[in-house]
Amino acid sequence: MGTPSAGQIHRLGRDQLASWVDALLGERKRVFAPVLRRGLRVLRAVERAQDVDFAPGRTRWSPKEFLFPRTETLFSYENRDGVPVLADPPADDVPRILFGVQPCDAAGLVRLDSILLQDPFYARRRELTTVVAIACSEAAPECFCTAVGGSPAGQEGVDVLLAPLETGWVVRALSPKGEALLAPRRGGWETAAAGDWEAALEQAGRVAGSIGRRELPAAWAEKLEQSFADPIWDELARRCVGCSICAYVCPSCSCFDVADEGSDACGSRCRTWDSCSFRLFTQHGSGHNPRATQPARSRQRVLHKFAFYPLQHGGRAMCVGCGRCIRSCPVGMDIHAEVVEVMSGRPEKEAGDVQR
Amino acid sequence: MSSAETAAGPARAAAGTAGPLESPLKPRLMRIVEAWDETPDVRSLRLQPVDDGPPVRWLPGQFGEFSVFGAGEAVFTMANSPSRGEFVECGFRALGKVTWALRDLAVGQVIGYRGPYGNSFPVDSWRGKDLVFIGGGIGTVALRAPLQWVLDHRGDFGEIVVLNGARSVADLCYQKEMPAWAEVPGVHVVRTVDPGGETPGWDGEVGLLPAVFERLGLAPGGRIVVTCGPPVMLHYLFQSLEKLKFPPEDVVTTLENKMKCGLGLCGRCNVGRLFVCVDGPVFTWARMQTLPRDY
Ligand SMILES: Cc1cc2nc3c(=O)[nH]c(=O)nc-3n(C[C@H](O)[C@H](O)[C@H](O)COP(=O)(O)OP(=O)(O)OC[C@H]3O[C@@H](n4cnc5c(N)ncnc54)[C@H](O)[C@@H]3O)c2cc1C
Ligand code: SF4
Ligand code: SF4
Ligand code: FES
Repeated sequence: MGTPSAGQIHRLGRDQLASWVDALLGERKRVFAPVLRRGLRVLRAVERAQDVDFAPGRTRWSPKEFLFPRTETLFSYENRDGVPVLADPPADDVPRILFGVQPCDAAGLVRLDSILLQDPFYARRRELTTVVAIACSEAAPECFCTAVGGSPAGQEGVDVLLAPLETGWVVRALSPKGEALLAPRRGGWETAAAGDWEAALEQAGRVAGSIGRRELPAAWAEKLEQSFADPIWDELARRCVGCSICAYVCPSCSCFDVADEGSDACGSRCRTWDSCSFRLFTQHGSGHNPRATQPARSRQRVLHKFAFYPLQHGGRAMCVGCGRCIRSCPVGMDIHAEVVEVMSGRPEKEAGDVQR
Repeated sequence: MSSAETAAGPARAAAGTAGPLESPLKPRLMRIVEAWDETPDVRSLRLQPVDDGPPVRWLPGQFGEFSVFGAGEAVFTMANSPSRGEFVECGFRALGKVTWALRDLAVGQVIGYRGPYGNSFPVDSWRGKDLVFIGGGIGTVALRAPLQWVLDHRGDFGEIVVLNGARSVADLCYQKEMPAWAEVPGVHVVRTVDPGGETPGWDGEVGLLPAVFERLGLAPGGRIVVTCGPPVMLHYLFQSLEKLKFPPEDVVTTLENKMKCGLGLCGRCNVGRLFVCVDGPVFTWARMQTLPRDY
């Protein structure tokens, strides 16, 4: 990516940001943005800019469901005189914008790409999606993007980056898709002042500095892989109850199940989010289960993300440090702490008493 | 989805210029042209495409996803060699949702098939060598394709021993076919059942498969062992092979991790850095030893 010239950075007032969103909606683009629903911050298709919550902070769920739906029909079938007739699902060709997601979530989509781009349904939606991320102006206690190569102003997977200034925003396209999104607007926007962009980056640097968690270097992957048979896993993961909420909130978890919904007369074959923390995920029809215990399943989640995947994908973890799994776990499992503990060979007995 | 909606075809809500896409998980329709029981709970099917598209192609050891609409998909090895006609055969044990539904279907009915997936048995590298096929229970189904291949290219291979075992006489697969295998020159078929599983007229061996294998007194020396069976059988068989000093590179088996997609997408069959559906299911014992024990 070449460094865009200063002319390509613009400064927006609050109202201008809102009217941009309204203009996109007017062009019949689908805009998914953070909104507050009964006290929860979630991503939803919005109908007007007024509904968008531009405050910093993660959404309860990651944006992955807009590219990789929780459940999706692969095809429908109908039994006609004893012969099944299959039909493809209707095409969904509306361009969509993920507006105001966090940079870590944009990076999460790049992780999904590495697996799911082979799937035409995902690939079509991905092609139709433009990602407008907002640089984080604060980090939550569970955040650790900086530990896995990200940053509060991370650019990976981002088409347009918005960053808050003391008053208003700077906006910059980072990809041809982002350029295309901004091009029609530029005429009405003020060019950023010298130093605006740097000021935004400095702010992101301060946020990065507030993240206390240590780096999880890519070089750990091989040693982690070798920890497979280490009894430390039994201690570390004893608390996990196997609810799998960690995988469901995760922007980079991509496992799915395939099952039929319906009867033998008609129905559809669906793909649904799944998780390696469930016992049935690997249990054979015969009853044999390679991952018979919850610690074995918990280990799979950590090692897939921090050992197996990076060893096959140029050292990048299949985790972007969004912290959602830590925030949502009912028993306080902490994937960052688990990695550190395995590497140091020292399980901590108390959830809150972890050397970070 | 209501049946009225299905009959009319799915509503084209947001149809654009690019049109609908086809999922790689969408199966081809196959008609059951023959079906027979191997044992009280193992059934074989012979299938032919409903359409007149190209014939189904596969290599010995590859597998497919077979589906009953409304019940779902199940993974089976193609049980016949591609050198045997234009049909696909599978053999399955009825033990759950899909396999029960499949068992209830009759000749003429239509199921889904997609594949072939995975790697295959390295039959070319076996040329000129002696072979031992060791199948336990339903595991023998996975050995039938490479065995048929070898029998169909008999001149390319050395001495062939087939060791087919089961819990009891009734549970032994391919009883009708074994005599024909044994008639091929240089092919030696040994049938065995677990102690207590024999019937009064039983004229085969009695004993656990690994023990019976040891009794055969086969020396390693360039002999390839091809085996498939339940995890516990493989565990003891590997102990026997180790004792007899068979080199791990000369022992080939299949892993049967649970699978959903067959394409390396769904994550289900992950073992360490590999996905069994793409990198397997055929592994040498040597390669298995490099994997974490996650199978
Ligand atoms: C490479 C490979 C090759 C294989 N080859 C063969 C072969 O040649 N022959 C053979 O017999 N087997 C073979 N197997 C094993 C075979 O795939 C399984 O035995 C088969 O998939 C079992 O399917 P099932 O639906 O009948 O069983 P189930 O155990 O019922 O499982 C199927 C799925 O349905 C779900 N399910 C089942 N029942 C219920 C329920 N009541 N409620 C909710 N969910 C339910 C399960 O959670 C599971 O996800 C092979 C496996 C692999 C990986
Ligand atoms: S780690 Fe926590 S959130 Fe994940 S499955 Fe275990 S208990 Fe549930
Ligand atoms: S593993 Fe946890 S911290 Fe990492 S990306 Fe997934 S939800 Fe976020
Ligand atoms: S079966 Fe889906 S990844 Fe192997």
